[in-house]
Amino acid sequence: MVKKSLIFCMAAVMAFTLAGCAGGKNGNNGSGGQASPSGGASASGASSPSASEKPLDKVTFTYFNGVAGAKDINTNETTIGKILEDQTGVNFKIEHLVGDLNTKIGTMIASNEYPDVLIPDAAIEEVLNAGGFIALDDLIEKYGPNIKRVYGQYFNQMRAADGKIYFIPFSSVVNQFYPDPDINQGAFWVQRRVLKEAGYPKIKTLDEYFKLIEDFVAKHKDEDLTGFIALTHDWRFFTTANPPMHLEGYPNDGNVIVDMNTLEAKTYAAADSTKRWLQKLNELNAKGLFDKASFVDNYDQYIAKLSSKKVVGYFDYGWQVALANNVLKDAARADPTQDDYVYFPLPVTFDGGKDQYLDPPGFVKNRGIGITVSAKNPERIIQYFDNLLKEENQVLRSWGIKGETYEVNEQGRFYRTAEQIAKIDEKFNDKFGFTYYDWDWPQYGTNSTFADGNAVAPNFQPEVFQMRLTDGDKEILGKYGVKTYSEMFSPPDDRPWFPAWGIPKEQGSPQQIWETKKEELTKKYFPKLVLAKPDEFEKVWQEYLGQFGKLDTAGYEKWYTEQIKAVVESLKK
Amino acid sequence: MENPNAPAMSPRMLPKKKAGPHLFIKKLVQQRTLVFMSVPFLVWLFVFKYWPIWGWTIAFQDYKPAKKFAEQTWVGWKHFEFLFQDERFFRVLRNTLAMSGINLVLGFVTAITLALLLNEIRRLAFKRLVQTVSYLPHFISWVVAASIIQSTLSPDGIINELLIRLGFIAKGEEILFLGKGEWFWGIFGASSVWKEVGWNTIVYLAAITMIDPAQYEAAEMDGAGRLKRMWYITLPGMKPVIVVLLIMNIGNLLESGFEPQYLLGNGMNVDFSENLDIFVLKYGINQNNFSLATAGGIFKTVVSFVLLFFANNVAKRMGEARLF
Repeated sequence: MVKKSLIFCMAAVMAFTLAGCAGGKNGNNGSGGQASPSGGASASGASSPSASEKPLDKVTFTYFNGVAGAKDINTNETTIGKILEDQTGVNFKIEHLVGDLNTKIGTMIASNEYPDVLIPDAAIEEVLNAGGFIALDDLIEKYGPNIKRVYGQYFNQMRAADGKIYFIPFSSVVNQFYPDPDINQGAFWVQRRVLKEAGYPKIKTLDEYFKLIEDFVAKHKDEDLTGFIALTHDWRFFTTANPPMHLEGYPNDGNVIVDMNTLEAKTYAAADSTKRWLQKLNELNAKGLFDKASFVDNYDQYIAKLSSKKVVGYFDYGWQVALANNVLKDAARADPTQDDYVYFPLPVTFDGGKDQYLDPPGFVKNRGIGITVSAKNPERIIQYFDNLLKEENQVLRSWGIKGETYEVNEQGRFYRTAEQIAKIDEKFNDKFGFTYYDWDWPQYGTNSTFADGNAVAPNFQPEVFQMRLTDGDKEILGKYGVKTYSEMFSPPDDRPWFPAWGIPKEQGSPQQIWETKKEELTKKYFPKLVLAKPDEFEKVWQEYLGQFGKLDTAGYEKWYTEQIKAVVESLKK
Repeated sequence: MENPNAPAMSPRMLPKKKAGPHLFIKKLVQQRTLVFMSVPFLVWLFVFKYWPIWGWTIAFQDYKPAKKFAEQTWVGWKHFEFLFQDERFFRVLRNTLAMSGINLVLGFVTAITLALLLNEIRRLAFKRLVQTVSYLPHFISWVVAASIIQSTLSPDGIINELLIRLGFIAKGEEILFLGKGEWFWGIFGASSVWKEVGWNTIVYLAAITMIDPAQYEAAEMDGAGRLKRMWYITLPGMKPVIVVLLIMNIGNLLESGFEPQYLLGNGMNVDFSENLDIFVLKYGINQNNFSLATAGGIFKTVVSFVLLFFANNVAKRMGEARLF
């Protein structure tokens, strides 16, 4: 029997081990930065040439983008990339992130082997701390007249603490600022049929907005409509936490609102504005107009609901709901009767004051592209960047080739014909290279204009924008007397620090810990507050305030105020 | 425990206890083939299980990835102090233990029951069907499984629909199952059972096939019915396997899983869904505080070790089969 049980044990152990392996019980107990062995971007160097070659010899550099997305490619396989290669002799082998960003960057740092050109996205602080980027100052001085022209005004903001420039951000504004005619930023959205039925009223305040929804739902009882939903899943929770800032008439600065005159940064997570916002949602919930599942749904479920035509209104950022909006727009394009279900953005504030939903000309300085210490031939790379920043190459990377992807009229305005617009789809973008040169290079930022007054981004050019509108779009815009969606909103004021969330915070700093703790608190209490019985709201709010009081909010605000003042100061020089 | 000679020593081969280095070497030469065969596994064990222990030093530093070992700042027990002084730490510890406890008990009871029942099924086709159906969820990733669970439990999901149809709740009073923190453990337990019960029966079914059929025949002769045979023959036959698995699982008590809690967790049930792994992720890895993450890992390992020895000891005292 002893022998037998031993065999059993062995069998059991074997089976268990097998089961353990196959079952993939995620035992990632966080034993430090054990990086995944899926190296690959470390193929640098192999393809880098020696520095002694003639300038126009063909070279290939490796380029890693820390954002998952398009498929990996050589730039010279695209039309734009080929033209640029003919000019400079440089080709980039682009690789995108697969899996976890921190793991990937961590592997690079640990091995000290980088691709030649690196876009670390959110992990940029780590690369800087690790000394992964080379300083660009001398290179720019020597080879970068165009870099100086485009980024010169930002050099002060681009410098690290040691006064050197280590990477080039993307969101520069060259020449005149051109607003996006579409709403990619925050707005309160409502189905078009609601406005139509109400006779296209001007909706300015939150009360008017919710009244509109309430009336509509009351009139359409049998349709099983949802009045208002919110997105709360995981890191997207800010979608529900941010509205108080916008309702008070501020743009999306993240966790703080910044006074334009005193430059004081104030958090609002426990301020009256947040209380007012949540109390409104609480009332809405009591009336049965709020979708309770907002607090348990994930992002996919949320998008599915928005596409279902059953949701009357919601607050969100245009880029985050593009998936749902595009589905509805495409449906309306195919069948004009579906236009009723397309969502329309409204600039709603608490009291109908001036809104600031549109992003001011901002400069995001904690994202960018840098040349790493592994690059053998940084001169060629910086020359490529500089060449790319020439006006004609910016036209090429944004508009394409004249006669092929755009036309010019007698007044020198760029436009696209209907055929060209139809031709330029996702597949064409990949082949032509628009996908790869759209962002992630030193560039004229999206809101820029060329010297001749044309918009850099084709979709921002009124001529192109008008072409894309359906009859339904034109009708509703006409009712409100505007030509573009963004005209519904107030023009943005100049805020040089914008966006405040883009001011880099050190890893593990008190500011970061404050944000983590604040997010944890709000995630826990906001659902309670909204779903509470109306007469218990006050009690839960006091409880929340008590918990919130334990955070070092004053320290956080002080840090932000200092940072913002420093930015404004640096621009005065 | 990890005695390098272990593979070569079975009780039969050591009739008498004779010590001495020359005897050891003699035996080593004698069994060189066996020793040789075990070398790759020893290398594997060392590289993947012992070498990483060096990384524990990170827990006592303010670790910065780019710096060399000699350049790191040493901070002693700082990160452990942060862990143990945080009130949330005890909450997540409670959640971890509660959820693995639930997992352990439910997992054992359901898997053993199902194995016993499956064993009694005469019609092979039906047995296969049940096995296949119950294995299937195991092969779904938690990401998909969590979506299924979420839609099932959502206000317009099938469960609420059913409750309304049956008249337990009125329309408009749908229950937010995942919004009730105190229900989370139950939901977690039920989903784990649904997902893993079939898979877990495999080991037990294997154990049952090892039981000598003569025992059943004898019992039948003596007039034992189905239930009696299950109770007096099948279950005792499975006992060694059960005990070994139990010991190993107790060692894993601090591993309550990560994906289900992470995917099903939300702000409303965070008090009950957040476990050690998520805590470490949030405050360690997400903030690049590898030191804190490592400290959490060490804590888990130490506790698991203590639990493992404890369980093994209990088994030894009770005279049961055991791990070592």
